[in-house]
Amino acid sequence: MERRRTDILILGSGGAGLFAAIHAHRKNSDLDITVAVKGLLGKSGCTRMVQGGYNVALALGDSVERHFRDTVEGGKWINNQDLAWTLVNGAVERIHELENEIGCFFDRNPDGSIHQKAFAGQTFDRTVHKGDLTGIEIISRLAEQVWARNINRLEEHRAVALIKNKTGDRLAGVLLLDIRSGKFLFVEAKAVLLATGGGPTMYRYHTPSGDKSCDGMAMALAAGLPLRDMEMVQFHPTGLVAGEDTRITGTIIEEGLRGAGGYLLNGDEERFMADYDPRAERATRDIVSRAMYDQMRAGRTAKNGGVYITMKHLDAKMVKKQFKGMVERCADCGFDLVSGLVEVVPTAHYMMGGVVFQTDCRTELTGLFAAGEDTGGVHGANRLGGNGVGNSTVFGGIAGDTMAGWVAEQSGFAEADEGELAAAVERTSHPLNRAPGDLNDLRERLSNVMWDDAGIIRDAQGLERVSKAVNALHDDLMNTGIGSGQRHYDIAWQDWLNLDSQMTVSKMIIAAAQARDDSAGAHFRSDFSDTLAPRQAWYTELRQINGSLQVSRQSVDFNRIKPNVDEGSEDKP
Amino acid sequence: MDNNSDQRELTVHIWRSEASASDDDLQPDGAWQTWEVPVRNSQTVLDVVTWIQRHRDPDLSYRYACRVGMCGTCAMTVQGKPRWTCRTRIGTVVDGNELTIAPLRNLPIIKDLATDMAPFFDKWAEAGAQFVPDRNVDQQTMAPVKPDSRARRTADVAIECIGCAVCYAACDTVAWRADYLGPAALNRVWTLVNDEREASPKEHLKAVAGESGCLSCHSHQSCAELCPKHLNPTASIAGLKRKSFLLALAGRS
Repeated sequence: MERRRTDILILGSGGAGLFAAIHAHRKNSDLDITVAVKGLLGKSGCTRMVQGGYNVALALGDSVERHFRDTVEGGKWINNQDLAWTLVNGAVERIHELENEIGCFFDRNPDGSIHQKAFAGQTFDRTVHKGDLTGIEIISRLAEQVWARNINRLEEHRAVALIKNKTGDRLAGVLLLDIRSGKFLFVEAKAVLLATGGGPTMYRYHTPSGDKSCDGMAMALAAGLPLRDMEMVQFHPTGLVAGEDTRITGTIIEEGLRGAGGYLLNGDEERFMADYDPRAERATRDIVSRAMYDQMRAGRTAKNGGVYITMKHLDAKMVKKQFKGMVERCADCGFDLVSGLVEVVPTAHYMMGGVVFQTDCRTELTGLFAAGEDTGGVHGANRLGGNGVGNSTVFGGIAGDTMAGWVAEQSGFAEADEGELAAAVERTSHPLNRAPGDLNDLRERLSNVMWDDAGIIRDAQGLERVSKAVNALHDDLMNTGIGSGQRHYDIAWQDWLNLDSQMTVSKMIIAAAQARDDSAGAHFRSDFSDTLAPRQAWYTELRQINGSLQVSRQSVDFNRIKPNVDEGSEDKP
Repeated sequence: MDNNSDQRELTVHIWRSEASASDDDLQPDGAWQTWEVPVRNSQTVLDVVTWIQRHRDPDLSYRYACRVGMCGTCAMTVQGKPRWTCRTRIGTVVDGNELTIAPLRNLPIIKDLATDMAPFFDKWAEAGAQFVPDRNVDQQTMAPVKPDSRARRTADVAIECIGCAVCYAACDTVAWRADYLGPAALNRVWTLVNDEREASPKEHLKAVAGESGCLSCHSHQSCAELCPKHLNPTASIAGLKRKSFLLALAGRS
């Protein structure tokens, strides 16, 4: 097996990975920095897919305190307050960096000042954006900055295992699989950043980039790290649904459509949101998703099983101008967003949960740092639209600074546990030596059981059912091999590994959802529908001990702000 | 309505090959292979490729990520022309029931439909196509940039490139000249030249003024014709030619 050494190894090239690379390089350009990514640099993951924008308190009258309170209230008070505070303050620094040093184009007001738009769940218009395709601008500008620097790229190299030293108290390196050659590569590093992104792609309808499969969280669990809030999976109300065997199904059309006055209609072409919430279509993501799901379960569906969104009662010119990207996307798929009905379903969007980490991005494992959607605690029980790209870029930058400082204090590389490394190679090669089976069928079954029983509305019975089902599917996967086992650029092998990660993380979602006997934010139990009182806020923490998942109940430290005695648990508009 | 009541099948020809031996070997030996694929509603070229890999040949190699026109990694040669496959519906490119899919040209092949995009990214860097901050500006503020200023409007029409390399594959000059930077990188430089915040727009112009840069463009317009974002790199390159000519004149006087 080929081996290589680098000072800093960054796994992932979204907002977190690229900012980490740029910051570490800025701090010490003599460092050997390597970005390893499952796809192509700057092309993978979800920062690129951000439509809405970037929440940051800039305007007169707004404040970081206010942004902080919105974030904590949106998170139903279970956030780690130090992390949320770091987010809202870091966002101010990072947006200036994106504008002044990275060179992003953000939309302006007529007087030349930066434009900030309204976004759900916030008490101030604070979302900086570039039309309705903000992520492409941010990540394209970041990628070209990385290309211009002396930063190594390992593209189409997927991380498969974190390898520790013999005593198990320090990370030694990461086992990578070179997708192109099908060969393993062991990279020893003084510091490693876990920034692969989460991505709840194990649900029938999902929004994230198709190459995401929760690999980072699965690797962290295997390495013994604690993860928190894993039951908190955010569903976005408006995913496109185009029918069987279409990749575009599940991808988002923008939240702003509802904000701008769009209507949701059921299969009978009748509005229904007012029956669920006085704010109707403008209610928060979780309420709208549950209402749509309720209509779908009652059978009031359109031809592909979803409901409709329509803008046809609004000014066509406004729709075309304000939602250009979405109008074009729908048109390419054969749908008319301006004057027709577009079929939509709620769709799994974002994982609030992830690896437990500190404000400087350290984790429990020495040598391992984490940032972005792989981490938990920043958003609590629900993430505000516009806080996702803030999370990845703020903490990615911090991780780069921390790692550069930390590496300077290290005397050398840790020696890898060769037994652990060999076992990881063995495990990753598992499907190569088995008779081929129907991976597609396994994926579809996983996505259906997760959607039906671990999705928008959960109860004890359903969670027990899905727990058994996922365990059985994982056993099936272990008995399923792949095609000819050609190894190089072998999509079937990658699919198998994706499923392995997705099933591992599905089990975490289910275990945490079983432990959470109340409803909070994105987690809704029909058998425990009382919403969590802010003052009683608690969160789940989970780790793998002797092969089984142990979930514990942790109390929240209200060290910055405390909920008022009369603080309601109602969603803010 | 039953979504898949349509029993029609599409005859799909895909070019299969192993990797290019080197960067000079852009067309390694290979062969066409044919499958029948069921027609679906709203079906894209990417859906067809996915269906074949999932149901007929697990060894078929291809690349995609976002599946919705944002990442720019799924472009292929479809019916002889470079296109993004995730948002190219079958109905818009198939007349009859035959569909041909091959890897993007002008890039080395990794396997089957997956090409190595590294030369495309490397030329972006070679063109100096990245923002250079002005260190004299207060980094804690944001410069006012009027959205209707001429410079900003000029930059705005060219900025939404997703880097999919469709233009790079469409360009005959790229095919003829190995060192030509290509439409996407030059288009990006044009946005930098028009960026009021840029520290050194002239340096950007100089970097692409030569034979490997804007001078080599023959204005065939293939890039503009095929850009899935409806950008016009030819016009951007014409702008670069004009401005670098003026810069050269100014330098002489």
